[in-house]
Amino acid sequence: MATTSTTTPTTLTGTGRQTGRRPSTGGRFRRYLPLYLSISPFYIIFAIFGLFPIGYSLYLSFHSWDGIGPMKFVGLAEFRYLVSDTQFWLSVKNTVEIWIISTIPMLFLALVIAVILNSSIRFKTAYRIAFFIPNVSSLVAMAIVFGSIFANNFGLLNGLLQALGLSQVQWLNDPWGIKIAIAVMVIWQWTGYNAIIYLAGLQAIPTDLFEAAKVDGANVVQTFFRVTVPMLRPIILFTVITSTIGGMQIFTQSQVLVGNTGGPGGAGMTMVLYLYQQAFTKNDFGYGAAIGWGLFIILLLFSIINWRVVQRTGK
Amino acid sequence: MTQARFARVLAHLVLIIGALISLFPFYWMIVMATNTTGDIFQFPPKLTFGSHLLGNIRNVLHNIDFFGSFLNTLLVAVVTTALVLFFDSLAAFTFAKYDFPGKRVLFIILLATFMVPSQLSTVPLFVLMAHIGWVGSLPALIVPGAVNAFGIFWMRQYIQGAVHDDLLDAGRLDGCNFFRLYRQVAIPVLRPALAFLGIFTFVTVWNDYLWPLVVLVNPHRLTLQVALSQLNGLYNTDYSMVMAGTLMATVPLILVFLLGARQFIANLAAGAIKA
Amino acid sequence: MTPLITRRGFLKGGAAGVAGAALLGAAGCGAESASAGSALSVWYWTGSISDTLLGNVQKKVGVKLEPQKIGGDFKSKFMTSLAGRSYVPDITGINSDVATYFPDADQFVDLRKFGADKVKDQYLDWKWQQGVANDGRMIGFPMDTGPTALYYRTDIFKKAGLPTDPAEVEAHLGTWDDYLAAGKKLQAAIAGTCIASATVNDIFDQVMAQSSKQYMDRQNHFIGDQAHVRNAWDISVKVIKSNLTAKTVSLTADWNAVMTNGKVPCFVGAVWMKNFLGPAAPKTKGMWRVCRAPGGAGNSGGSFLGVTKYCKRPEDAYNAIRYLESTKNQAFSYQDINLFPSTPASYKDPIMRKPDPFYGGQVTVDIFGSAAEQVKPFYFSPYDDAITPAYATELGNVESLGKDPDQAWNDCIGQIKRTLQHTGVI
Repeated sequence: MATTSTTTPTTLTGTGRQTGRRPSTGGRFRRYLPLYLSISPFYIIFAIFGLFPIGYSLYLSFHSWDGIGPMKFVGLAEFRYLVSDTQFWLSVKNTVEIWIISTIPMLFLALVIAVILNSSIRFKTAYRIAFFIPNVSSLVAMAIVFGSIFANNFGLLNGLLQALGLSQVQWLNDPWGIKIAIAVMVIWQWTGYNAIIYLAGLQAIPTDLFEAAKVDGANVVQTFFRVTVPMLRPIILFTVITSTIGGMQIFTQSQVLVGNTGGPGGAGMTMVLYLYQQAFTKNDFGYGAAIGWGLFIILLLFSIINWRVVQRTGK
Repeated sequence: MTQARFARVLAHLVLIIGALISLFPFYWMIVMATNTTGDIFQFPPKLTFGSHLLGNIRNVLHNIDFFGSFLNTLLVAVVTTALVLFFDSLAAFTFAKYDFPGKRVLFIILLATFMVPSQLSTVPLFVLMAHIGWVGSLPALIVPGAVNAFGIFWMRQYIQGAVHDDLLDAGRLDGCNFFRLYRQVAIPVLRPALAFLGIFTFVTVWNDYLWPLVVLVNPHRLTLQVALSQLNGLYNTDYSMVMAGTLMATVPLILVFLLGARQFIANLAAGAIKA
Repeated sequence: MTPLITRRGFLKGGAAGVAGAALLGAAGCGAESASAGSALSVWYWTGSISDTLLGNVQKKVGVKLEPQKIGGDFKSKFMTSLAGRSYVPDITGINSDVATYFPDADQFVDLRKFGADKVKDQYLDWKWQQGVANDGRMIGFPMDTGPTALYYRTDIFKKAGLPTDPAEVEAHLGTWDDYLAAGKKLQAAIAGTCIASATVNDIFDQVMAQSSKQYMDRQNHFIGDQAHVRNAWDISVKVIKSNLTAKTVSLTADWNAVMTNGKVPCFVGAVWMKNFLGPAAPKTKGMWRVCRAPGGAGNSGGSFLGVTKYCKRPEDAYNAIRYLESTKNQAFSYQDINLFPSTPASYKDPIMRKPDPFYGGQVTVDIFGSAAEQVKPFYFSPYDDAITPAYATELGNVESLGKDPDQAWNDCIGQIKRTLQHTGVI
């Protein structure tokens, strides 16, 4: 953790004002106190609002409780129900599907944009800002806007399809339509972010590698797959992991677009939306806590699988 | 030569199409906010700006306490950002430049907190807030977010490269104590990093939705995102009015971002590479 | 998708020493009322109480109210405030799902304590019973009701060769089978025409709204797998199979579109649908009529007012409610915001008998009033909210995925039984 350049205060305080005095326990205390104080806010707040709730969530998940009446101990019943709850598994399936159909195109598009931006091209900054703006805009606001684009009977997209002489799609009624709408929002919002990350990675690749590829007679596509992608591997890993964590926690887009029920067929019901729905609209606090643990385990599994896959493909 | 030129035109074409797609929803939002609901429902829909913006804004102000929510959001975002900047940079400075017993373990604990999805604690955190009487109040939003592992980690990376040891040594020889070193040596060097973390935090807090939705039961104390979702839920037949609200909630943030966009993007990329 | 960690995680990843501790110390425990000072807070949603009447309460009853309009998921907000024991309103609107509050009936004041029983006979009996918990505690005071009727457009009915006069339509469309037959006729005349904007809302829910039995009986036995529910299910499936549903999500912009463009020229719905229909399809003004719904009288929706146990002056709160829901004021509310009274005497009030231009001058109280009086008493259970989504989900699967209806029915019943087991009811 500590870098080699870190200077330890031990040597310095010894040469400072305290010269000639033997470092007593009181001195040690006084010397380290500001350091511990400076890092303490994090640990205090984490203990109260992070650690304690995690422990308490385990306690809650062994109970049946609506948050108002008395708590009832039910042992593992909440978890047993979780395992057999088709709605929960539907939400897992939906989340994974949305994650796949959003992450793959998103990262690919981001890479393409980054490669183009990395060539000597003008207006680079303007492009980067344009691509990044979706990332800072409010999810709630944008979900409302996208709702009007994907609306079944008057939506902009269906208007466009009609103008092109194609048949309309009942986007927000069709299970895949809903997922595509959510995925499009994710792609729209995060492609620019990932492109900028990739661009930074590309700029760190030594140019002589590209020169060498050129000398060897590699074309653009070959250079992309033989030089660019391998060199970017750690960055790609980073984006895949962050996309997984984010993708597993999709909530706002679904909630605003199709509501607390997840829309027709529950196709927009994601894991976090299900947790929210059970805990805060059905007031099933015990089950909400159990879903939280289910979510945690699934997230952990995905992170591990992710890591493994990316590591292996690199070899 | 012509081939290179063709490639460049193609590249611009791809980028321009991408940028248009990026910006289109904003354009469409303005179109809807400046027209009447009827204009939006007609076929083909109107794609140009109308003249009903003020009327739509009036309706928004009539239906929700927009300015109240705006001030609440601003308050939460500003206070949280200030606390995060102070606590994160202070802790990061310590982790980057000092040794002390337990440092390694403490830092590993800090990193381990990354692994815990916040949704795990949504329910118990609500119960906790109920017990301490914070449900419905803004401290419920501010305090849990007043310092965070990500900022400390990111700042530490930055400080290791940016704050030079000889400057610190010189300061120590002048008799500066820890807090003075932080204030007079570290802080001036950290300005760009603080700007980045500040914008990042501000934008994140401003747009936060799930937790405010859960915990803000007091109808007089909503944040903009919650107010906006209520507006959408209550009046979704009046689209242009909802869009006017959406526009009003989005514009300030975009402006804040555009002020520091260039710097922000550069730092974002640098942070990812180091991480 | 998010930088390093998620946004929420980022916010909660840590926490605030000094400031936090100070705030912690300052914050009190126990429930805070949502009301400021001496006023009694009232939580309601758009269109659930007349703002004019709320404004009159102080003058007429001498009780100061602080009305707060709550958006979003009202019940969720209210339950969350109860769970958080913070900002709980003194008086709250309660929707037709009043029974879901019965397990927490102790959170409310028993309105019988203030003599509610004395005015009982002024109200529709079935409505009154709905607000009384199984232990006899009365937590919900009747507000409006939601008698149902058939809404139809004369212009399109005429084009399809169907009758247009309410009495004739009523005679022609007496049963749900008649309604389906009329749908086929509409479709033959004008391709793509439907008789429901959304199957679950306009068909399944409406057939159930006419039934005296719902999903559970008073002894907490599940009866949602019996013939009366299966009947509603089968009619819904027929509508789906005949392509007579527009598959919109109710009360969205999409719904506005099909109401305006005539794709859905008729539907069965409660009296309050007009609140949405009017603004959604202003161009269709004068073209709509209502008549008795196929299948008979039903009720869908309608709300209540309750007083929470956190209310410091429950008697004042009760007096305010009595004023708001008097026979005269219910008639006023009907005129003001189209809330249909739960007090039959109001139906004779001249202000309720004005011809309605939206319905081409029809006096609609004749239709809705007789429906309200004919509604059979029915029992909503605390678990209906947990039960009903399963029917909607599986009907949705039949509709959008083409799932086999019998398979869907079995999955639906299975899911409900698992849910009820989880809740500890069966």
